Amino acid sequence: MTENKAHQILDKNGEVSADRPWIFRTYAGHTNVWATNQLYRENLTKGQTGLSIALDLPTQCGYSSDHALARPEIGKVGVPINSLDDFQVLFDNIPLEEMNTSMTINGSAMWLLSLYVALAEERGVDVSQLKGTTQNDVIKEYLARGTYIYPPEDSMRLIVDMYEYCLHNIPSWNASNICSYHLQEAGATPVQELAFALITAITILDAIKERDCFSEEEFERCVGRISFFVNAGMRFVEEVCKMRAFCEMWDEIAQQRYGVKNPKYRRFRYGVQVNSLGLTAEQPENNAWRIIIETLGVTLSRKARCRALQLPAWNEALSLPRPWDQQWSLRIQQILAYETDLLEYPDLLDGSHVVESKVKDLKEQAYVEIDKILSMGGGLKAVESGYMKSALVGSQSERMRRLTNGEQIVVGKNKWIEGIASPLVSDADGGIFMVDAKAAERTLEALAETKRTRDPKRVEAALEKLAADARSGENLMPASIECAKARVTTGEWSDKLREVFGEYRPPTGVDGQSMNIENESLQQVRGKIETFIKEHGYRPRIVVGKPGLDGHSNGAEMIAVAARHAGFDVIYFGIRLSTTEIVQSALEEDADIIGISLLSGSHNEIVDQLFTELEEQGVKDAIPVVLGGIIPEPDYPGLIDRGVKRIFTPRDFDPMLVMDQIMDVIIENKSKVAH
Amino acid sequence: MNGMNVAAMASQTTPALSDDIKQLIDRALKMEKWPIARLISMVEVESDSAAEQRHVILDYLDSVVEEANRDALVVGITGTPGAGKSTLIGELCLRMLQGSDDLFVAVIAIDPSSQRSGGALLGDRTRVKFPSKDKRLFFRSQASHQELGGLGKKTYHAVRLLRYIFDIVVIETVGIGQSELEIDRLSDLTCLVLQPLTGDQVQFMKAGIMEIPDLFIVNKCDEDALAKKSYHLLRASLKLIDISTEQDSDRARPVFMTSALKNKGIEELARHILSLRQDPESFKNREIQGEYYLCKWIRQNYGGYGIEVYQSIKQNSTSERFSFEDREKAFNRMIKGMVKPLESFPCR
Repeated sequence: MTENKAHQILDKNGEVSADRPWIFRTYAGHTNVWATNQLYRENLTKGQTGLSIALDLPTQCGYSSDHALARPEIGKVGVPINSLDDFQVLFDNIPLEEMNTSMTINGSAMWLLSLYVALAEERGVDVSQLKGTTQNDVIKEYLARGTYIYPPEDSMRLIVDMYEYCLHNIPSWNASNICSYHLQEAGATPVQELAFALITAITILDAIKERDCFSEEEFERCVGRISFFVNAGMRFVEEVCKMRAFCEMWDEIAQQRYGVKNPKYRRFRYGVQVNSLGLTAEQPENNAWRIIIETLGVTLSRKARCRALQLPAWNEALSLPRPWDQQWSLRIQQILAYETDLLEYPDLLDGSHVVESKVKDLKEQAYVEIDKILSMGGGLKAVESGYMKSALVGSQSERMRRLTNGEQIVVGKNKWIEGIASPLVSDADGGIFMVDAKAAERTLEALAETKRTRDPKRVEAALEKLAADARSGENLMPASIECAKARVTTGEWSDKLREVFGEYRPPTGVDGQSMNIENESLQQVRGKIETFIKEHGYRPRIVVGKPGLDGHSNGAEMIAVAARHAGFDVIYFGIRLSTTEIVQSALEEDADIIGISLLSGSHNEIVDQLFTELEEQGVKDAIPVVLGGIIPEPDYPGLIDRGVKRIFTPRDFDPMLVMDQIMDVIIENKSKVAH
Repeated sequence: MNGMNVAAMASQTTPALSDDIKQLIDRALKMEKWPIARLISMVEVESDSAAEQRHVILDYLDSVVEEANRDALVVGITGTPGAGKSTLIGELCLRMLQGSDDLFVAVIAIDPSSQRSGGALLGDRTRVKFPSKDKRLFFRSQASHQELGGLGKKTYHAVRLLRYIFDIVVIETVGIGQSELEIDRLSDLTCLVLQPLTGDQVQFMKAGIMEIPDLFIVNKCDEDALAKKSYHLLRASLKLIDISTEQDSDRARPVFMTSALKNKGIEELARHILSLRQDPESFKNREIQGEYYLCKWIRQNYGGYGIEVYQSIKQNSTSERFSFEDREKAFNRMIKGMVKPLESFPCR
């Protein structure tokens, strides 16, 4: 027995000990099930026990790979899953009963869980032994990430169905993982992050309570299964305080609102991916240091330390990361956990008046916001009315303003811009990752094979049962599991529920937003617009489009708000549009320019589709196109060649300079068409 | 100028119809979207040369479109933000187009411009769930710019053009008090969209605005009990208004209870509008309308004196049929020789 000193952690036997590190995760999945299975098996032989599955956008949005919207996106940001046959390959030689499997899946979360359960049952694995998480936080999808499918009420019903099913059948499964991560990426302040994430948890638990499907003891366990996925940015002191505030508030809410008696079930359990929004395309090597600092925010305070951590790669602002880039990030975690003495001490911040006061302040403000939303009728109402979305778009435009006028310094971006070029980006591949375009063919062939070999009668019966249960209010898990076994496809399952629930488009949040940038570039572009109006008798019109399935709508929203601030008439109507819809809108509105935003790596395919449409309509010369997003430089020549007039990337952070260049394109084109 | 024929005066300045514009119009009448969009832009533009171009376009349309097809029913839909107008209009258009392959509908959605930058965020197009290549539906956004009530000459000209091409023209605007009056000038049927009523809204209904609409839509009636309560509240209030304004209380104005979400009441509303289209009584007098916009524009630019000049032209006019273009041309010719527009005087 050792003497108890305040700086020591003692174990059960009173011996000085140290904490075990958090779980190191790497978000992975790409190309197709064969390539991803190989990747997982490699990672597992290195001692990794958890899988964090990245799924491609068609799978996340409920489309099979053979859907027209899916084609450009197959295997781009994750692995494509079309049916149980794909899952068989993905988990080939991987023991399900030993895995902790986390899936980043939301709108179609129930489907992916059903596939996992069906796979276990076909393999003879005891389902109750499965461990893992489905992200399944649809509120933040409406607000920030965009892979929702159904209206809020129906989506919430699917989530509650899963909680009910899991608690009774897979007790170690986290049916959902509430994400403030994406809110911060969309510009949320710490207070908004706290309030909106906790409101999401409240919305889910209230819905579960309303269904009244659990005993009191079961409901306590259910609260205990609520877990979170959080973000941490560069202001790491505030971030530490935010994490402490989260822990305290969740404990208070669980106790006061839900009467949870067991403190174990009130604990704020969370995983982290640190902030990508603050990473720069300029001097990208600096991002490595940023990632370390962001990591401190979620590891420093023992009380509020994360359970699992995944880090972005230094080059995320340039393209999707390569395996080496991910490995470099993993090393940061290993060095912090094993080389430093961080894990040997109790909470370092306990007793700090500064931290205490800051935490109190954050909590007070967050509670005000929570009460405000509850008085509006709760989380779903605040989604439908666009309240939360507008608040986020507002914060994001404020952030743009601070960046543009230099109030917020970002090294290498708006200060100390000059420097020696980084040798890291001068590799043969330009420091970026490319997906093999032919790999999608194999996925499509497998899908066709599944459709050819399955029993159509069983498929039809399974889908009919699904629709009937959706209408009657029956829990949809059993019918979905039967669909999985019958080899129903991702698109078929989602479409059947679309028939019953309909599809949802949430408010874009850009209405009524203003931008407070008053700089030289604004004066310049406004001057050009005034001249244009005098000359042509109308205000220039821009269609801002977000084609494809990528739902990260920040960029498009900021461009829409900025364009109005500059003086354009702006047509913007949200995410997930086909190129046909964008071109038809530009035609009907007689637009002077189309601006599209793309981040999922599918720009080459989508730009080609867009120009094919413009050519078919005979307006390729009449309506110029500009492109913004994460576009790797080697792709520039091809895109320009296809007809794109300008390409904007995260480097172009002054939105008024972007507007000015867009105006130049319009003027250039007008004079060309006139002659 | 006594005894001078207005049309003759006007003809002196009419430029010839270019092949380009003729082709554009011919294609527009085949419901091609891009030509229709280009023509709207052309008639929207405000400048002297653009006015001449507008005259050419509308004159030609008037000469090639058969008289029976020259007029669409214009439906104005207004209401406070949050009443769910966009979604409702989307569903309404869908319903009207279902079951009729040769009905053509145009929607003009008007959104407010920023006071500071002059720019605007326009049109929630995605609320209309219709195959975007289908020619039976055309959707166009307009910024209100500085116009009071959000509707102006620009909308008037666009609507006039669309009346030649489509069967039904729907105008959507944000209700802010003044726009109910303005939209009533332009539409044959003015609809006010409300949310299910609460006590506060009954207060709002006492305002003069409630006298104007031809038809009321209580939208978002997702729950039956709330819908019924709202219906009775609204009916009672309308009755009071009709008595106080000595309106014929037999002319009970229709009230529709709709829910875009639950797909309720929209079929009935669509049928009602389609039946009005068959009835010549539904259409308002186009001359009065044209005269209103012409006078409004003259007053804005030339004040009371301009109106006097216009009145004298009118008295001396020998042509039988009112034509906005002819009158405007005649006025322009006359006024240009006499005064400059107000805005061109230097301010001291």
